Amino acid sequence: MSDDLSLDLFPEPEPEHVEVEASVDESEKETVGEPKVWSVSQVNRAVRSLLEDSVDPLWIGGEVGTWTRSRPGHCYFTLKDDRAQMRCVMFNRDAQQLPTDPEEGMKVRVLGALTLYEARGEYQLVASRIEAEGAEGLWRLAFQKLRATLTAEGLLDPERKKELPRYPAVVGIVTSSTGAALRDIVSVLRRRAPWVRVLLGATRVQGEGASVEIALALEALAATGEPDVIIVSRGGGAVEDLWAFNEEPVARAIAACPIPVVSGVGHEVDVTIADLVADLRAPTPSAAAEAVVPDAVVLMEGLREMPSRLAQGLRGTIQRRRSGLREVLAGLRMRVERRIMPVQQTIDRATGRMERAMRSALELRRLRVATAAGKLDALSPLATLQRGYSVARSRTGGVLRSVQDFAPGQPFELRVRDGEVSCEALETREAGPS
Amino acid sequence: MSDETAREAGSTESVSLEERIARLEEILTRLESDEVALEQALELFEEGIGHVRAAERVLSETQLRVEELLAGGKKKELDVDEP
Repeated sequence: MSDDLSLDLFPEPEPEHVEVEASVDESEKETVGEPKVWSVSQVNRAVRSLLEDSVDPLWIGGEVGTWTRSRPGHCYFTLKDDRAQMRCVMFNRDAQQLPTDPEEGMKVRVLGALTLYEARGEYQLVASRIEAEGAEGLWRLAFQKLRATLTAEGLLDPERKKELPRYPAVVGIVTSSTGAALRDIVSVLRRRAPWVRVLLGATRVQGEGASVEIALALEALAATGEPDVIIVSRGGGAVEDLWAFNEEPVARAIAACPIPVVSGVGHEVDVTIADLVADLRAPTPSAAAEAVVPDAVVLMEGLREMPSRLAQGLRGTIQRRRSGLREVLAGLRMRVERRIMPVQQTIDRATGRMERAMRSALELRRLRVATAAGKLDALSPLATLQRGYSVARSRTGGVLRSVQDFAPGQPFELRVRDGEVSCEALETREAGPS
Repeated sequence: MSDETAREAGSTESVSLEERIARLEEILTRLESDEVALEQALELFEEGIGHVRAAERVLSETQLRVEELLAGGKKKELDVDEP
Protein backbone atom coordinates (compact mmCIF):
# COMPACT_ATOMS: atom_id res chain seq x y z
CA MET A 1 0.00 0.00 0.00
CA SER A 2 1.37 3.40 -0.91
CA ASP A 3 2.45 5.57 1.92
CA ASP A 4 0.70 8.74 0.80
CA LEU A 5 -2.64 7.01 1.08
CA SER A 6 -4.10 6.53 4.50
CA LEU A 7 -7.09 4.43 3.71
CA ASP A 8 -7.56 0.98 5.01
CA LEU A 9 -10.80 -0.77 4.56
CA PHE A 10 -9.74 -3.63 6.74
CA PRO A 11 -7.97 -1.99 9.68
CA GLU A 12 -6.00 -4.35 11.78
CA PRO A 13 -4.99 -3.70 15.38
CA GLU A 14 -1.33 -3.51 14.63
CA PRO A 15 1.09 -0.89 15.91
CA GLU A 16 1.88 0.58 12.50
CA HIS A 17 -1.79 1.14 11.93
CA VAL A 18 -2.13 3.24 14.97
CA GLU A 19 -1.16 6.32 13.08
CA VAL A 20 -3.58 5.44 10.30
CA GLU A 21 -6.34 4.88 12.74
CA ALA A 22 -5.43 8.12 14.34
CA SER A 23 -5.66 9.85 11.02
CA VAL A 24 -9.00 8.20 10.38
CA ASP A 25 -10.05 9.41 13.72
CA GLU A 26 -8.76 12.77 12.66
CA SER A 27 -10.78 12.71 9.46
CA GLU A 28 -13.78 11.60 11.43
CA LYS A 29 -13.19 14.58 13.54
CA GLU A 30 -13.10 16.72 10.41
CA THR A 31 -16.47 15.43 9.30
CA VAL A 32 -17.79 17.64 11.95
CA GLY A 33 -16.72 20.56 9.82
CA GLU A 34 -15.66 20.17 6.16
CA PRO A 35 -15.49 16.47 5.26
CA LYS A 36 -12.20 15.03 3.92
CA VAL A 37 -12.65 14.63 0.15
CA TRP A 38 -10.68 12.01 -1.72
CA SER A 39 -9.90 12.25 -5.37
CA VAL A 40 -11.13 9.44 -7.63
CA SER A 41 -7.56 8.62 -8.53
CA GLN A 42 -6.64 8.32 -4.90
CA VAL A 43 -9.45 5.96 -4.21
CA ASN A 44 -8.86 3.85 -7.29
CA ARG A 45 -5.18 3.66 -6.51
CA ALA A 46 -6.00 2.60 -2.98
CA VAL A 47 -8.45 -0.04 -4.11
CA ARG A 48 -5.96 -1.30 -6.65
CA SER A 49 -3.26 -1.66 -4.04
CA LEU A 50 -5.68 -3.33 -1.78
CA LEU A 51 -6.62 -5.85 -4.41
CA GLU A 52 -3.10 -6.52 -5.56
CA ASP A 53 -1.69 -6.90 -2.10
CA SER A 54 -4.40 -8.96 -0.54
CA VAL A 55 -5.08 -11.51 -3.24
CA ASP A 56 -2.34 -13.81 -4.47
CA PRO A 57 -2.31 -14.87 -8.11
CA LEU A 58 -4.95 -17.54 -8.59
CA TRP A 59 -6.42 -19.90 -11.16
CA ILE A 60 -9.93 -19.02 -12.23
CA GLY A 61 -12.03 -21.39 -14.25
CA GLY A 62 -14.67 -20.18 -16.68
CA GLU A 63 -15.76 -19.80 -20.24
CA VAL A 64 -14.17 -17.33 -22.62
CA GLY A 65 -16.68 -14.63 -23.59
CA THR A 66 -15.48 -12.03 -26.06
CA TRP A 67 -11.81 -12.16 -27.09
CA THR A 68 -9.91 -9.43 -28.89
CA ARG A 69 -6.22 -9.07 -29.62
CA SER A 70 -4.99 -5.50 -30.07
CA ARG A 71 -2.40 -4.45 -32.60
CA PRO A 72 0.46 -4.43 -30.04
CA GLY A 73 -0.56 -7.96 -29.09
CA HIS A 74 -2.41 -7.38 -25.84
CA CYS A 75 -5.44 -9.59 -25.45
CA TYR A 76 -8.67 -8.41 -23.86
CA PHE A 77 -11.32 -10.89 -22.96
CA THR A 78 -14.06 -11.75 -20.57
CA LEU A 79 -14.31 -14.81 -18.42
CA LYS A 80 -17.72 -15.92 -17.35
CA ASP A 81 -19.91 -18.58 -15.84
CA ASP A 82 -23.70 -18.81 -15.99
CA ARG A 83 -24.21 -16.00 -13.54
CA ALA A 84 -21.29 -13.64 -13.68
CA GLN A 85 -18.43 -12.37 -15.76
CA MET A 86 -15.16 -10.55 -15.25
CA ARG A 87 -12.83 -8.56 -17.42
CA CYS A 88 -9.42 -9.96 -18.17
CA VAL A 89 -6.35 -8.78 -19.95
CA MET A 90 -3.27 -10.66 -21.10
CA PHE A 91 -0.38 -8.44 -22.06
CA ASN A 92 1.64 -9.20 -25.17
CA ARG A 93 4.63 -10.70 -23.37
CA ASP A 94 2.44 -13.47 -21.99
CA ALA A 95 0.11 -13.53 -24.97
CA GLN A 96 3.06 -14.37 -27.23
CA GLN A 97 3.46 -17.62 -25.33
CA LEU A 98 -0.05 -18.66 -26.26
CA PRO A 99 0.02 -21.25 -29.02
CA THR A 100 -3.17 -19.70 -30.29
CA ASP A 101 -6.06 -17.52 -29.18
CA PRO A 102 -8.77 -19.47 -27.36
CA GLU A 103 -12.07 -19.57 -29.12
CA GLU A 104 -15.11 -17.82 -27.67
CA GLY A 105 -17.13 -20.17 -25.52
CA MET A 106 -14.09 -22.30 -24.81
CA LYS A 107 -13.78 -23.62 -21.26
CA VAL A 108 -10.49 -22.44 -19.87
CA ARG A 109 -8.62 -21.89 -16.67
CA VAL A 110 -6.70 -18.69 -16.31
CA LEU A 111 -3.82 -17.93 -13.98
CA GLY A 112 -3.75 -14.28 -13.10
CA ALA A 113 -3.63 -11.53 -10.53
CA LEU A 114 -6.51 -9.31 -9.63
CA THR A 115 -6.02 -5.64 -10.14
CA LEU A 116 -7.96 -2.50 -10.81
CA TYR A 117 -7.79 -0.56 -14.00
CA GLU A 118 -7.64 2.81 -12.40
CA ALA A 119 -8.62 4.83 -15.47
CA ARG A 120 -12.00 3.14 -15.50
CA GLY A 121 -12.32 2.00 -11.98
CA GLU A 122 -12.93 -1.50 -13.23
CA TYR A 123 -11.36 -4.42 -11.57
CA GLN A 124 -9.84 -7.02 -13.84
CA LEU A 125 -7.71 -10.08 -13.96
CA VAL A 126 -4.24 -9.73 -15.47
CA ALA A 127 -3.80 -13.15 -16.96
CA SER A 128 -0.38 -14.74 -17.33
CA ARG A 129 -1.39 -18.23 -18.47
CA ILE A 130 -4.44 -19.70 -20.10
CA GLU A 131 -5.04 -23.39 -20.40
CA ALA A 132 -7.96 -25.00 -22.11
CA GLU A 133 -9.51 -28.43 -21.75
CA GLY A 134 -6.59 -29.63 -19.66
CA ALA A 135 -3.09 -28.30 -19.90
CA GLU A 136 -2.65 -28.95 -23.64
CA GLY A 137 -5.99 -27.82 -25.03
CA LEU A 138 -4.74 -24.64 -26.60
CA TRP A 139 -1.77 -26.43 -28.15
CA ARG A 140 -4.18 -28.91 -29.61
CA LEU A 141 -6.36 -26.12 -30.88
CA ALA A 142 -3.40 -24.31 -32.46
CA PHE A 143 -2.26 -27.57 -33.99
CA GLN A 144 -5.69 -28.23 -35.45
CA LYS A 145 -6.01 -24.72 -36.81
CA LEU A 146 -2.64 -24.79 -38.57
CA ARG A 147 -3.25 -28.28 -39.84
CA ALA A 148 -6.58 -27.18 -41.27
CA THR A 149 -4.92 -24.23 -43.01
CA LEU A 150 -2.12 -26.35 -44.46
CA THR A 151 -4.55 -29.07 -45.51
CA ALA A 152 -6.70 -26.50 -47.29
CA GLU A 153 -3.61 -25.32 -49.15
CA GLY A 154 -2.81 -28.89 -50.13
CA LEU A 155 0.55 -28.83 -48.35
CA LEU A 156 -0.18 -32.12 -46.58
CA ASP A 157 -1.17 -34.03 -49.72
CA PRO A 158 0.52 -37.41 -49.99
CA GLU A 159 1.31 -36.63 -53.66
CA ARG A 160 3.54 -33.79 -52.53
CA LYS A 161 5.83 -36.13 -50.66
CA LYS A 162 9.20 -36.35 -52.33
CA GLU A 163 10.98 -39.67 -52.55
CA LEU A 164 14.13 -39.97 -50.46
CA PRO A 165 17.43 -40.69 -52.20
CA ARG A 166 18.57 -44.24 -51.52
CA TYR A 167 22.26 -43.47 -51.10
CA PRO A 168 22.68 -39.83 -50.08
CA ALA A 169 26.22 -38.45 -50.14
CA VAL A 170 25.41 -35.34 -48.08
CA VAL A 171 22.89 -35.32 -45.23
CA GLY A 172 21.71 -31.93 -43.96
CA ILE A 173 20.60 -31.60 -40.35
CA VAL A 174 18.62 -28.72 -38.90
CA THR A 175 18.85 -28.84 -35.13
CA SER A 176 20.69 -27.41 -32.15
CA SER A 177 24.46 -27.87 -32.26
CA THR A 178 24.43 -28.73 -28.57
CA GLY A 179 21.37 -30.92 -28.35
CA ALA A 180 21.08 -34.65 -27.86
CA ALA A 181 19.36 -34.95 -31.23
CA LEU A 182 22.54 -34.07 -33.14
CA ARG A 183 24.60 -36.56 -31.16
CA ASP A 184 22.02 -39.29 -31.70
CA ILE A 185 21.80 -38.66 -35.43
CA VAL A 186 25.57 -38.44 -35.93
CA SER A 187 26.03 -41.62 -33.96
CA VAL A 188 23.61 -43.53 -36.19
CA LEU A 189 25.09 -42.09 -39.38
CA ARG A 190 28.61 -42.95 -38.24
CA ARG A 191 27.58 -46.54 -37.69
CA ARG A 192 25.38 -47.01 -40.75
CA ALA A 193 26.81 -44.75 -43.41
CA PRO A 194 30.33 -43.52 -42.67
CA TRP A 195 30.78 -42.35 -46.27
CA VAL A 196 28.20 -39.64 -45.70
CA ARG A 197 29.07 -35.96 -45.18
CA VAL A 198 26.91 -34.16 -42.66
CA LEU A 199 26.08 -30.49 -43.06
CA LEU A 200 24.60 -28.96 -39.92
CA GLY A 201 22.34 -25.94 -40.03
CA ALA A 202 22.57 -25.04 -36.36
CA THR A 203 19.60 -23.30 -34.81
CA ARG A 204 17.80 -22.81 -31.56
CA VAL A 205 14.97 -25.31 -31.38
CA GLN A 206 12.89 -23.82 -28.61
CA GLY A 207 11.95 -20.48 -27.17
CA GLU A 208 10.56 -17.37 -28.70
CA GLY A 209 11.33 -16.98 -32.40
CA ALA A 210 12.78 -20.49 -32.64
CA SER A 211 10.42 -21.46 -35.44
CA VAL A 212 11.68 -18.59 -37.59
CA GLU A 213 15.28 -19.58 -36.88
CA ILE A 214 14.58 -23.19 -37.76
CA ALA A 215 12.97 -22.08 -41.00
CA LEU A 216 15.96 -19.88 -41.86
CA ALA A 217 18.43 -22.66 -41.08
CA LEU A 218 16.52 -25.02 -43.35
CA GLU A 219 16.43 -22.47 -46.14
CA ALA A 220 20.17 -21.79 -45.78
CA LEU A 221 20.96 -25.51 -45.98
CA ALA A 222 18.76 -25.97 -49.03
CA ALA A 223 20.32 -22.90 -50.65
CA THR A 224 23.76 -24.56 -50.68
CA GLY A 225 22.26 -27.21 -52.94
CA GLU A 226 24.55 -29.74 -51.28
CA PRO A 227 22.37 -31.98 -49.12
CA ASP A 228 20.61 -34.88 -50.82
CA VAL A 229 18.22 -35.08 -47.89
CA ILE A 230 17.65 -32.93 -44.79
CA ILE A 231 16.69 -34.00 -41.28
CA VAL A 232 14.76 -31.47 -39.17
CA SER A 233 15.07 -32.61 -35.61
CA ARG A 234 14.88 -32.05 -31.89
CA GLY A 235 15.08 -34.33 -28.90
CA GLY A 236 12.15 -35.03 -26.62
CA GLY A 237 10.59 -32.43 -24.34
CA ALA A 238 7.38 -30.92 -23.09
CA VAL A 239 4.74 -29.73 -25.51
CA GLU A 240 5.97 -26.16 -25.13
CA ASP A 241 9.55 -27.22 -25.87
CA LEU A 242 8.55 -28.87 -29.12
CA TRP A 243 6.24 -26.05 -30.03
CA ALA A 244 8.45 -24.38 -32.61
CA PHE A 245 7.93 -27.46 -34.80
CA ASN A 246 4.19 -26.82 -34.68
CA GLU A 247 4.46 -23.30 -35.97
CA GLU A 248 3.75 -21.96 -39.39
CA PRO A 249 7.26 -20.72 -40.33
CA VAL A 250 8.70 -24.23 -39.92
CA ALA A 251 5.77 -25.82 -41.72
CA ARG A 252 6.07 -23.44 -44.69
CA ALA A 253 9.87 -23.77 -44.89
CA ILE A 254 9.59 -27.57 -45.01
CA ALA A 255 6.83 -27.43 -47.61
CA ALA A 256 8.90 -25.07 -49.77
CA CYS A 257 12.15 -27.02 -49.44
CA PRO A 258 13.20 -28.48 -52.81
CA ILE A 259 15.24 -31.17 -51.05
CA PRO A 260 13.44 -34.08 -49.35
CA VAL A 261 12.92 -33.42 -45.64
CA VAL A 262 12.66 -36.03 -42.89
CA SER A 263 11.35 -34.93 -39.51
CA GLY A 264 12.44 -36.50 -36.25
CA VAL A 265 11.02 -34.46 -33.41
CA GLY A 266 10.63 -35.54 -29.80
CA HIS A 267 9.53 -39.03 -28.93
CA GLU A 268 7.41 -41.58 -30.73
CA VAL A 269 4.16 -40.12 -29.36
CA ASP A 270 4.88 -36.54 -30.39
CA VAL A 271 3.39 -35.70 -33.74
CA THR A 272 4.12 -32.18 -34.88
CA ILE A 273 3.02 -30.08 -37.83
CA ALA A 274 6.59 -30.43 -39.10
CA ASP A 275 6.01 -34.21 -39.16
CA LEU A 276 2.89 -33.77 -41.26
CA VAL A 277 4.54 -31.50 -43.82
CA ALA A 278 7.80 -33.43 -44.02
CA ASP A 279 8.32 -35.93 -46.82
CA LEU A 280 8.81 -38.58 -44.17
CA ARG A 281 8.05 -38.55 -40.45
CA ALA A 282 10.46 -40.44 -38.25
CA PRO A 283 9.39 -41.00 -34.63
CA THR A 284 12.73 -39.90 -33.13
CA PRO A 285 16.01 -38.24 -34.19
CA SER A 286 17.76 -41.63 -34.35
CA ALA A 287 14.96 -43.08 -36.43
CA ALA A 288 15.28 -40.13 -38.81
CA ALA A 289 18.97 -40.92 -39.26
CA GLU A 290 18.14 -44.56 -39.92
CA ALA A 291 15.53 -43.55 -42.45
CA VAL A 292 17.83 -41.41 -44.60
CA VAL A 293 20.76 -43.76 -45.12
CA PRO A 294 21.06 -47.43 -45.99
CA ASP A 295 22.81 -49.71 -43.55
CA ALA A 296 26.46 -50.18 -44.50
CA VAL A 297 26.29 -53.81 -43.38
CA VAL A 298 23.40 -54.59 -45.73
CA LEU A 299 25.06 -52.58 -48.49
CA MET A 300 28.30 -54.47 -48.00
CA GLU A 301 26.47 -57.78 -48.28
CA GLY A 302 24.89 -56.59 -51.49
CA LEU A 303 28.28 -55.56 -52.84
CA ARG A 304 29.82 -58.91 -51.91
CA GLU A 305 27.19 -60.70 -53.97
CA MET A 306 27.70 -58.34 -56.86
CA PRO A 307 30.72 -60.00 -58.54
CA SER A 308 28.94 -63.34 -58.77
CA ARG A 309 25.79 -61.65 -60.03
CA LEU A 310 27.83 -59.84 -62.65
CA ALA A 311 29.55 -63.08 -63.60
CA GLN A 312 26.19 -64.78 -63.90
CA GLY A 313 25.00 -61.99 -66.14
CA LEU A 314 28.08 -62.39 -68.29
CA ARG A 315 27.63 -66.18 -68.47
CA GLY A 316 24.04 -65.62 -69.42
CA THR A 317 25.09 -63.35 -72.23
CA ILE A 318 27.60 -65.89 -73.47
CA GLN A 319 25.03 -68.68 -73.35
CA ARG A 320 22.48 -66.56 -75.12
CA ARG A 321 25.06 -65.70 -77.78
CA ARG A 322 25.93 -69.38 -78.16
CA SER A 323 22.37 -70.55 -78.46
CA GLY A 324 21.82 -67.60 -80.75
CA LEU A 325 24.56 -68.92 -82.97
CA ARG A 326 22.99 -72.34 -82.95
CA GLU A 327 19.73 -70.82 -83.97
CA VAL A 328 21.42 -68.94 -86.78
CA LEU A 329 23.03 -72.13 -88.01
CA ALA A 330 19.79 -74.04 -87.85
CA GLY A 331 18.10 -71.23 -89.70
CA LEU A 332 20.79 -71.22 -92.30
CA ARG A 333 20.50 -74.93 -92.84
CA MET A 334 16.77 -74.66 -93.16
CA ARG A 335 17.11 -71.91 -95.72
CA VAL A 336 19.64 -73.94 -97.71
CA GLU A 337 17.41 -76.98 -97.56
CA ARG A 338 14.48 -74.97 -98.67
CA ARG A 339 16.45 -73.82 -101.68
CA ILE A 340 17.81 -77.27 -102.45
CA MET A 341 14.50 -79.08 -102.15
CA PRO A 342 12.95 -77.92 -105.44
CA VAL A 343 16.17 -78.67 -107.27
CA GLN A 344 16.25 -82.10 -105.76
CA GLN A 345 12.69 -82.65 -106.79
CA THR A 346 13.42 -81.44 -110.29
CA ILE A 347 16.33 -83.79 -110.48
CA ASP A 348 14.27 -86.63 -109.10
CA ARG A 349 11.51 -85.94 -111.53
CA ALA A 350 13.94 -85.63 -114.43
CA THR A 351 15.69 -88.83 -113.47
CA GLY A 352 12.39 -90.65 -113.32
CA ARG A 353 11.40 -89.35 -116.68
CA MET A 354 14.75 -90.32 -118.10
CA GLU A 355 14.49 -93.77 -116.68
CA ARG A 356 11.03 -94.19 -118.03
CA ALA A 357 12.12 -92.83 -121.41
CA MET A 358 15.07 -95.20 -121.50
CA ARG A 359 12.91 -98.10 -120.49
CA SER A 360 10.38 -97.45 -123.21
CA ALA A 361 13.15 -96.89 -125.77
CA LEU A 362 14.64 -100.22 -124.83
CA GLU A 363 11.25 -101.86 -125.02
CA LEU A 364 10.73 -100.43 -128.45
CA ARG A 365 14.09 -101.67 -129.57
CA ARG A 366 13.49 -105.06 -128.12
CA LEU A 367 10.21 -105.19 -129.97
CA ARG A 368 11.87 -104.14 -133.17
CA VAL A 369 14.58 -106.71 -132.71
CA ALA A 370 12.00 -109.36 -132.11
CA THR A 371 10.08 -108.35 -135.20
CA ALA A 372 13.26 -108.21 -137.21
CA ALA A 373 14.23 -111.56 -135.88
CA GLY A 374 10.91 -112.94 -136.99
CA LYS A 375 11.38 -111.47 -140.37
CA LEU A 376 14.94 -112.68 -140.52
CA ASP A 377 13.79 -116.05 -139.56
CA ALA A 378 11.28 -116.03 -142.34
CA LEU A 379 13.86 -114.81 -144.77
CA SER A 380 16.58 -117.11 -143.62
CA PRO A 381 17.82 -119.47 -146.35
CA LEU A 382 18.19 -122.07 -143.71
CA ALA A 383 14.46 -122.45 -143.60
CA THR A 384 14.44 -122.96 -147.33
CA LEU A 385 17.21 -125.46 -146.98
CA GLN A 386 15.09 -127.22 -144.47
CA ARG A 387 12.49 -127.59 -147.07
CA GLY A 388 15.01 -129.36 -149.39
CA TYR A 389 16.54 -126.56 -151.31
CA SER A 390 20.29 -126.07 -151.42
CA VAL A 391 22.53 -123.12 -152.24
CA ALA A 392 25.54 -123.23 -154.46
CA ARG A 393 28.36 -120.91 -153.68
CA SER A 394 31.70 -120.37 -155.24
CA ARG A 395 34.84 -121.00 -153.33
CA THR A 396 35.00 -117.26 -152.80
CA GLY A 397 31.61 -117.31 -151.17
CA GLY A 398 29.50 -115.78 -153.89
CA VAL A 399 26.10 -117.35 -154.47
CA LEU A 400 25.87 -119.07 -157.82
CA ARG A 401 22.38 -118.23 -159.10
CA SER A 402 22.62 -118.71 -162.87
CA VAL A 403 23.89 -121.16 -165.46
CA GLN A 404 26.11 -118.36 -166.42
CA ASP A 405 27.80 -118.54 -163.01
CA PHE A 406 29.07 -122.02 -163.70
CA ALA A 407 31.72 -123.27 -165.98
CA PRO A 408 32.24 -127.01 -166.67
CA GLY A 409 34.72 -128.49 -164.26
CA GLN A 410 34.33 -125.60 -161.84
CA PRO A 411 34.32 -126.59 -158.16
CA PHE A 412 31.71 -125.18 -155.93
CA GLU A 413 30.27 -125.70 -152.54
CA LEU A 414 26.76 -126.82 -152.05
CA ARG A 415 25.10 -125.77 -148.84
CA VAL A 416 22.46 -128.19 -147.73
CA ARG A 417 20.31 -128.47 -144.64
CA ASP A 418 22.92 -130.18 -142.50
CA GLY A 419 26.25 -129.25 -144.07
CA GLU A 420 28.21 -128.56 -147.18
CA VAL A 421 29.08 -130.71 -150.14
CA SER A 422 32.10 -129.99 -152.36
CA CYS A 423 31.00 -130.38 -156.01
CA GLU A 424 32.25 -129.94 -159.53
CA ALA A 425 30.17 -128.70 -162.42
CA LEU A 426 29.97 -131.27 -165.27
CA GLU A 427 27.86 -129.54 -167.86
CA THR A 428 25.65 -126.48 -168.05
CA ARG A 429 22.24 -126.38 -169.78
CA GLU A 430 20.18 -123.43 -170.03
CA ALA A 431 16.58 -123.99 -169.32
CA GLY A 432 14.08 -122.92 -171.94
CA PRO A 433 12.09 -119.78 -171.27
CA SER A 434 9.27 -120.48 -168.83
CA MET B 1 26.11 -41.82 -68.17
CA SER B 2 27.32 -43.21 -71.46
CA ASP B 3 29.19 -46.50 -71.57
CA GLU B 4 32.38 -44.73 -72.56
CA THR B 5 32.53 -42.38 -69.62
CA ALA B 6 31.12 -45.04 -67.35
CA ARG B 7 33.94 -47.43 -68.07
CA GLU B 8 36.47 -44.80 -67.11
CA ALA B 9 34.41 -43.97 -64.04
CA GLY B 10 34.59 -47.57 -62.86
CA SER B 11 38.06 -47.07 -61.50
CA THR B 12 38.13 -43.40 -60.50
CA GLU B 13 37.26 -42.23 -57.01
CA SER B 14 35.25 -39.12 -57.86
CA VAL B 15 32.03 -41.00 -58.47
CA SER B 16 29.50 -40.98 -55.64
CA LEU B 17 28.36 -44.17 -54.00
CA GLU B 18 24.86 -43.54 -55.23
CA GLU B 19 26.04 -43.27 -58.82
CA ARG B 20 28.11 -46.42 -58.48
CA ILE B 21 25.24 -48.47 -57.12
CA ALA B 22 22.83 -47.08 -59.67
CA ARG B 23 25.34 -47.94 -62.42
CA LEU B 24 25.84 -51.44 -61.00
CA GLU B 25 22.11 -52.03 -61.15
CA GLU B 26 22.05 -50.72 -64.72
CA ILE B 27 24.92 -53.03 -65.68
CA LEU B 28 23.13 -56.04 -64.19
CA THR B 29 19.96 -55.19 -66.08
CA ARG B 30 21.88 -54.87 -69.32
CA LEU B 31 23.78 -58.08 -68.79
CA GLU B 32 20.46 -59.82 -68.28
CA SER B 33 18.99 -58.33 -71.45
CA ASP B 34 19.32 -59.73 -74.94
CA GLU B 35 20.63 -56.68 -76.66
CA VAL B 36 24.17 -56.65 -75.37
CA ALA B 37 26.96 -58.02 -77.56
CA LEU B 38 29.52 -60.40 -76.10
CA GLU B 39 32.40 -57.96 -76.19
CA GLN B 40 30.26 -55.25 -74.66
CA ALA B 41 29.13 -57.67 -71.95
CA LEU B 42 32.75 -58.30 -71.03
CA GLU B 43 33.41 -54.58 -70.77
CA LEU B 44 30.31 -54.09 -68.62
CA PHE B 45 31.42 -56.91 -66.37
CA GLU B 46 34.85 -55.39 -65.87
CA GLU B 47 33.38 -51.97 -65.22
CA GLY B 48 30.96 -53.49 -62.69
CA ILE B 49 33.78 -55.19 -60.80
CA GLY B 50 35.59 -51.84 -60.70
CA HIS B 51 32.54 -50.21 -59.15
CA VAL B 52 32.18 -53.00 -56.60
CA ARG B 53 35.80 -52.68 -55.49
CA ALA B 54 35.61 -48.88 -55.29
CA ALA B 55 32.33 -48.98 -53.37
CA GLU B 56 33.74 -51.51 -50.92
CA ARG B 57 36.72 -49.22 -50.34
CA VAL B 58 34.40 -46.28 -49.70
CA LEU B 59 32.32 -48.32 -47.26
CA SER B 60 35.19 -49.70 -45.30
CA GLU B 61 37.65 -46.83 -45.27
CA THR B 62 35.78 -43.55 -44.97
CA GLN B 63 34.99 -41.66 -41.78
CA LEU B 64 31.87 -39.63 -41.20
CA ARG B 65 32.55 -35.92 -41.68
CA VAL B 66 30.42 -33.33 -39.90
CA GLU B 67 30.50 -29.68 -40.94
CA GLU B 68 28.52 -26.77 -39.65
CA LEU B 69 27.14 -24.32 -42.15
CA LEU B 70 28.02 -20.78 -41.06
CA ALA B 71 26.70 -17.45 -42.17
CA GLY B 72 27.78 -16.52 -45.68
CA GLY B 73 27.96 -20.15 -46.78
CA LYS B 74 31.25 -20.86 -44.95
CA LYS B 75 31.72 -24.22 -43.29
CA LYS B 76 33.44 -25.39 -40.14
CA GLU B 77 34.46 -28.95 -39.25
CA LEU B 78 32.60 -30.09 -36.18
CA ASP B 79 33.46 -32.71 -33.59
CA VAL B 80 30.38 -34.49 -32.39
CA ASP B 81 30.87 -36.83 -29.47
CA GLU B 82 29.03 -40.06 -29.13
CA PRO B 83 26.14 -39.70 -26.66
